[in-house]
Amino acid sequence: MAKKHTEDEHGHRPPAPMVDEISDFEVLEMAVRELAIEKGLFSADDHRRWTEYVHTLGPLPAARLVAKAWVNPAYKKMAVTDGVKASLEVGVDWINDMPTHFGTPSDYCNLRVLEDTPKLKHVVVCTLCSCYPRPILGQSPEWYRTPNYRRRLVRWPRQVLAEFGLQLPPDVEIRVADSNQKTRYIVLPVRPAGTEGWTEEQLAEIVTRDCLIGVAVPKPGVKANAKRPVHPAVHPVHHDH
Amino acid sequence: MSSRKQLMKHYQLVGQLQPALHAPQHAPYPDTIDHALYRAYTRSAHDIGGEPDVPITWEEKEEEQWELNTFATCECLAWRGIWNAEERRRRQNVDLGQTQYLGLPYYGRWLMTAALIMVDKQYVTLTELVNKIDEVKKRYE
Repeated sequence: MAKKHTEDEHGHRPPAPMVDEISDFEVLEMAVRELAIEKGLFSADDHRRWTEYVHTLGPLPAARLVAKAWVNPAYKKMAVTDGVKASLEVGVDWINDMPTHFGTPSDYCNLRVLEDTPKLKHVVVCTLCSCYPRPILGQSPEWYRTPNYRRRLVRWPRQVLAEFGLQLPPDVEIRVADSNQKTRYIVLPVRPAGTEGWTEEQLAEIVTRDCLIGVAVPKPGVKANAKRPVHPAVHPVHHDH
Repeated sequence: MSSRKQLMKHYQLVGQLQPALHAPQHAPYPDTIDHALYRAYTRSAHDIGGEPDVPITWEEKEEEQWELNTFATCECLAWRGIWNAEERRRRQNVDLGQTQYLGLPYYGRWLMTAALIMVDKQYVTLTELVNKIDEVKKRYE
């Protein structure tokens, strides 16, 4: 069952069951998908194509957008005024990339790029659900979906950012962007010192997913999100978002 | 705009709203619902921005295969016009009620909602759904 890998109250890992048990969610998922296909609501091919599309997603295009904006002032201007148009130059077409060819079925196609300055830091949340710019950033991290992050970030942003390891001086204003159904955000952080003369590719490597959400800032030499505990899946998807 | 003190009172009231089966709380007289109670009862469970909470350990999570499948199923249902974004949001976030909203995993809510939309819009009957669930379970016995 779902608790197979979690620790019990004494901190021990219980032995895995002999039979590979299946959770109620897995049963319901199969039932719903199979019924939808049998009834012709969508086809097995639709489902496969959508899953394959999801496998292509990740934060790299957004990181490239930021890197390009750092080295090209004209592009930066475009990015902060028309994020969807700027996405095209990093290979993301918000209308035609999806198998639908009419944009996301969740009906959003409005990316805003929030430009940080040395005295202004942006950070993104979705207080009402967990809206996230999936086409350019991939699947949202679990912590972004938690009620805790959504509850606290709007009221205690400085404290929450500190918990993520980002301690900002008191004279830096923090602006929290609350995503909604139609509008999704990424953060364009300040280009860090020590990156003079770097290529776009080098720059993109230090723009992590967390930097793009706004809970971290890019640093030379840091190419991954901060290390956090990982809750393992019982039957994991074998790909990285 | 409420003061923080007023908001705290509101949140505390909301937190006490679970029906108590041992208490005479069923179908109260209209004059027993004051403004504070009315506001608490009409609050939507997903409107949590600004609510008090304590710091937790931020964790990453591996995605379950059924979670990715559920995401794809929900998107395919929208792609083929079975539901639109507004319906999905209302069902996944509002209509579940607070207990399921906070009690189910993220994609668990998506999945329940996908099952319900097919039944509610009469694409499948409840019997077909129950039979299919039984059929799937038997494969793993």
